[in-house]
Amino acid sequence: MRMLPRWHGGQSTQPATAKMLDVMRHRSYFQYRLVLLYLAPLLNLLLAVGLLMRGQILFAATASLLALACFGCNRRLAHLVEIANAQKYALDQQLLQSQKLAAVGELSSGIAHEINNPLAIIGQEAEWMQYLLKDRGKKIQEWQEELKDSSQQIVKQIDRCREITHKLLDFARKKEPIIQRAEINKLLEDMVKLVEKEAVQKGIILVRSYDETVPAILTDPPLIRQVVLNLLNNALYAVGTDGTITVSTFAEQDGWVVIEIKDTGCGIPQEHLRKIFDPFFTTKPVGKGTGLGLSICHGIVARLGGRINVESKTGEGTTFFVRFPLGREKEVSSNVLRT
Amino acid sequence: MSSGPRILIVDDEERFRTTLRKHLTVAGMEADTAGSGEDALQQIRGKTYDVVLLDVKMPEMDGLEALARIKKIDPQVEVIMLTGHACLDVAVEIMKLGGYEYLLKPCPLDDLMAKIDAAYERKLMRHGKRSRTDAAQS
Repeated sequence: MRMLPRWHGGQSTQPATAKMLDVMRHRSYFQYRLVLLYLAPLLNLLLAVGLLMRGQILFAATASLLALACFGCNRRLAHLVEIANAQKYALDQQLLQSQKLAAVGELSSGIAHEINNPLAIIGQEAEWMQYLLKDRGKKIQEWQEELKDSSQQIVKQIDRCREITHKLLDFARKKEPIIQRAEINKLLEDMVKLVEKEAVQKGIILVRSYDETVPAILTDPPLIRQVVLNLLNNALYAVGTDGTITVSTFAEQDGWVVIEIKDTGCGIPQEHLRKIFDPFFTTKPVGKGTGLGLSICHGIVARLGGRINVESKTGEGTTFFVRFPLGREKEVSSNVLRT
Repeated sequence: MSSGPRILIVDDEERFRTTLRKHLTVAGMEADTAGSGEDALQQIRGKTYDVVLLDVKMPEMDGLEALARIKKIDPQVEVIMLTGHACLDVAVEIMKLGGYEYLLKPCPLDDLMAKIDAAYERKLMRHGKRSRTDAAQS
């Protein structure tokens, strides 16, 4: 069985105290509670009755008092545990809320930056056009080329904004997946063929390593194609020229099918690894990437009940693992209904 | 040759810096451009500028790092930071590093010109020149 790397896209952020209090949800907690709260005092009481019947009044009284004390203490303990449980629930809710707010804040600042830059250019070009047109009616022929250039630039920047907002809408829109039986090797090969021509032109070798025994899975084929194409495009970009991209499939013993896309490109620095699935995170130059590709991939894979993992070393290359559950038909359907 | 302030525009958006340069030139300023923090540092080492317009978010060297390094090379230059999104932490950091002003893109040209004027006046006053006329005469 192959070991997969840590999943950078979804680490648990539950605080240690909340984790500790999780024992209260455990079944054995209720069993101990039953023994401590009721059975122990009851046994003490029975002992007291037995001692009383034997005429040992002093011992019987002591046992009765112990039974009462035991019951009182245990009841108090149970009460404190319930308070702690309620506090834990409240803490969990607060944490969830703050995580939501942090995510919204991060997303908003990304959108603001990506939209405000083209807006700044549009504003400047418009002001330049106004400057050219101001009191220059008679000489308009001289400025025609510059006016044309500025107006073209405005259209270009509007397209840039439109691309961002459309991608955002795609990102937010929860298209219900249409589940079909799919051969993962076939899906992968279709996408590999699409990028093959570009790879050859750049001197990149595409290596196929498909496991022919991988069973068919129940999934949404167009969504998987979108994910694979995005990862292949990223691999091509990372390699640049003269490198290797290896595309593999294999099945894991615990019921997962894995797509592995490995490149010998520039790699991702350690400090960027935890951010690569964040919306708008990109290291590409202006106009070359919106930083939404991997976050969209992450969303798609999660909606299909899968996981996406990455491991990378600067200067050596990057490997993406996309895992999908083999899943029985009923499980996949119920998963889809939840999305 | 222009007698106005010498401005360096540092931004990774090529079109932003070229159009802004045209605006500044017709307003009587002498404007140069740089596409990255490293490029800006090289230009500042070779020429004295009065005001630098510096983008906060740039690949490789970001605006804050560039600001700190620019101030080491030329502590007298006034730096106006430009950014696509406002953030209090970044604003505080800019002030700590000696930045003059923090402007949000898209910024109306008149506002930007007014800030450049104010930054230039400040630099002149620091040198004991009360106005642009004094600077032009000297």
